[in-house]
Amino acid sequence: MNWAQRLWRNQTKLQFPELWKKALVVSAACVLIGIVALLVRGVNLGIEFEGGTVWETTAPNISTAEVRDVLRDVGQAGAKIQFVGGDVLRVRAELDSTDANSVASVSAALAALTAQSIDDISFNSISASWGGEITSKAIRALIVFFVVVAIYITIGLEWRMAVAALLAVAHDIIITVGIYALFQFEITPATVIAFLTIMGYSLYDTLVVFDKNRDYQRRSALIGKATYTRIMNMALNTVLLRSVNTTITSVLPVLAMLIIGSAVLGAVTLAEFAVALLIGLLVGTYSSLFVASPVAAYLKERQPEQLELREKLEARAQSRGTTVHEVEEEATAGSAAGATAPAPRLQRAAGTRSPVSSTRTARRPASGGGAIPPRPRKRKRR
Amino acid sequence: MSRRSLVSLILIVAIAGGLLAASLVAGNSPLLGLDLKGGVEVVLVPVDDPERPEEITSGDLDTAVNIIRDRIDGLGVAEPDVTRQGGRVVVQLPGISDQQRAIDIVGQTAELRFRPVCSELAAEPITIAPEAVEIFEDTEDADDTPDEDTFVEDEVTEPEDEATEEGVTEVTEDTEVTEEPVEVTEPVDPAAEVEIVSEVPVVPIAELDERGLAPCPTDIGNEFGLPTSTSAEDQLDSFVVLPERNDDGQVTRRYLLGPSNLTGAGLSGADSAFTNEYVVIANFRGGDEGSNKFDELAAECFSGTAVCPASLGGQGRVAVVVDGTVEVAPSVNAASFDGEAVISGNYSGDEADDLALVLRYGALPVEFQDPTDPQSDSTSRGVSATIGSDSLRAGVIAGIVGLALVFLYMVGMYRLLGVIAMLSLGVSATLLWVIVAWLGETQDLALTLAGVTGLIVAIGVSLDSNVVYFEHLKEDVATGRSLRSSLEQSFRAAFITIFRANFASLIAAVILYWLSAGSVRGFALMLGLASVLDLVATYFFLRPCAQLLARSSSLMANPHRLGLPTPEEAMAEQASQS
Repeated sequence: MNWAQRLWRNQTKLQFPELWKKALVVSAACVLIGIVALLVRGVNLGIEFEGGTVWETTAPNISTAEVRDVLRDVGQAGAKIQFVGGDVLRVRAELDSTDANSVASVSAALAALTAQSIDDISFNSISASWGGEITSKAIRALIVFFVVVAIYITIGLEWRMAVAALLAVAHDIIITVGIYALFQFEITPATVIAFLTIMGYSLYDTLVVFDKNRDYQRRSALIGKATYTRIMNMALNTVLLRSVNTTITSVLPVLAMLIIGSAVLGAVTLAEFAVALLIGLLVGTYSSLFVASPVAAYLKERQPEQLELREKLEARAQSRGTTVHEVEEEATAGSAAGATAPAPRLQRAAGTRSPVSSTRTARRPASGGGAIPPRPRKRKRR
Repeated sequence: MSRRSLVSLILIVAIAGGLLAASLVAGNSPLLGLDLKGGVEVVLVPVDDPERPEEITSGDLDTAVNIIRDRIDGLGVAEPDVTRQGGRVVVQLPGISDQQRAIDIVGQTAELRFRPVCSELAAEPITIAPEAVEIFEDTEDADDTPDEDTFVEDEVTEPEDEATEEGVTEVTEDTEVTEEPVEVTEPVDPAAEVEIVSEVPVVPIAELDERGLAPCPTDIGNEFGLPTSTSAEDQLDSFVVLPERNDDGQVTRRYLLGPSNLTGAGLSGADSAFTNEYVVIANFRGGDEGSNKFDELAAECFSGTAVCPASLGGQGRVAVVVDGTVEVAPSVNAASFDGEAVISGNYSGDEADDLALVLRYGALPVEFQDPTDPQSDSTSRGVSATIGSDSLRAGVIAGIVGLALVFLYMVGMYRLLGVIAMLSLGVSATLLWVIVAWLGETQDLALTLAGVTGLIVAIGVSLDSNVVYFEHLKEDVATGRSLRSSLEQSFRAAFITIFRANFASLIAAVILYWLSAGSVRGFALMLGLASVLDLVATYFFLRPCAQLLARSSSLMANPHRLGLPTPEEAMAEQASQS
């Protein structure tokens, strides 16, 4: 089987604990770059946050596209173009109104386009439309959100998971915002919404991964036979395809938007918004597997019972002259593949239907089936 | 079991389809944001006030911008664009074609004032017989007069029931007067009216002291005959007669008010609170800007001086005036308030909230010219979308291409299950459309480009519920469990996961919605909707679909059509694995 087939069958044998070490370096580097970029370069805030300059002039029979072409030539491709009351053209750009040269160059370009004298183009300063109050309210809401979600995860799972999940969310936001700072992409209200979308997505994704992990940690066949990290590794291998698939289904529309958006000249806002989402979706999936999981495992392994278990396994490994990993492999062999082993009753049901299938495949379980006894399973009655 | 799932399936499809049809018939369509469709803008130009020659600072305008933005945010989730452009305030509202409605939304543009109450008057001017006659500010009031014979009387007596003791005394002192107008209002003879105009009492000119206050006039004679002041007469430094209105906008009583020394700029905030009853707490800015001025006024009213005369057995009153209407006129129970005044008056919770809202948002530090007045510099006009139609088209094409790719991927990955996933998506997308269209009509929920993109992402993410289920299913089948029982069993396990993750999103949405403002709020609404609809579609569509699949023996015999291995293959794989 090649890796794609294994992935498809949820039978990858990735050793996540090994990968975590590499991921730690990568994540730390990315977060560091993000923070440094933020501190050194700062973010490039759009006109909605910082204000800028507004030009107005009468411009009958001129289309938005024409205006945009002209503005791109003077370096203002991102300007907002609007027609007011029919034929008054209004252009808003993130440009300091005291920057006389730049303002004049836009005025000149507009004058040339509308065949007027430059004196007919009026300009003025424009204030931010995104009030400081919106920001402070949003920050307050975020703090409350973090606290409530932490409580929610603590009740639903446990506090270690809450710490891990929120760390992963912070990781994603720092990296995404860091990339915006690094490349000086303009931050608009749409981008802020994209950041929030990422936050929600990252949290959602982490919870799905943690839920699978919890499912595995509770399996009687695995309890006491392998360390927390080892069991989590199995869970992550089974949940991997789901993570990949979800990422692909979420990324495809965004990618289409990015490519088609940038192909169409002028859809600058569209493209910049899509970049934030694209980075965020990819980082969000990555962080569930490579940030939230190792943090949870690390915290969990510091519990006394986990330390005891590890000691026990190490002692056993030493006595046999093998590694802990091999001991765990042996103890849990055959348990990694399935979520819930079939109850005997169901096993028979499958057996009765086997004649429908071809004889070639029907014979196989007879040869191999005996080697794998049904895993004992805690039966839940509902 | 299968009967129930079939019913559930038919029901959810019928509901989604029915709602969509109803929505289309009702003509609901999503309200598109300023960037996508444009709207109406109202330009507000400050009033040139000769009395205050100092220029209105940009700080004042910025404060006004914030207050107007808050005010619009308080009305719904439309994403307005409120900016200061030079010396004007420009308010853009999405999706509105009716300019009058835009002006209404931008609302009261006058500032809030605190004025001492000189006396309380009846709802309509009352003159003493025989020579005096009513005079009206405009013809509209005159048209109403024939019906008002009893109405006037009622209005005069009504305050006696409701009003504080001071009000009662004022009215009762002139009991004779209230009887008279019944006879007088009948002959509305134009000639007589012209003749008698000079007889109508006139609001005296205030002689201000250094604090901007003036003693109430005592020599008006028939103060009940005072006409209501026009908005032009409603100046900070003069005596005015202003009405108080009930919820329906009818005048319930009027007040003769003294000049004001304090405007809404002196307020730092106001909120409703519940102690023993609902009250409104108004907070003043410290120092001479607010608190001290209010205390000056309060001291006069508390001791009942000529500036703010006390009525029998009570203290003087301070009226809160917004846009030429008295919102509330409480009596003053302390000489000094230290920056915090509590207004009580048997309010219901809603009434207290409304009053707090008026105090908070009515506190515009700048007075703007009336945009409905053609003479003024303030205007309203339509604005176009900021995003060109080419960009919009690109966005739509991108969305369609993206969804098509997702469809291909899902079907390639999960075969028939992939098709079901896309159908489930269709159900939740239909419901989402209906809700967004409905909210657009009723709550002014505007869809911006960012909102549309967010929805597309939400769609991609909501496929995750399906993926989680399918993967769980695959895992179950791989261990040798029969496909039929796996379909049911896996759903239970997967749904717990789906529910838990979506519930976290829902928590996020609710918190962001309650605590934030502006476009963040719009986002929160979308996030919450997408989460709930995901759960609905998963439980009421995906689950019955899966149950129906389990009924098909041919499918059960050919799991490949569902992108699943046969039990035998699964067993073989497990064998080869170990």
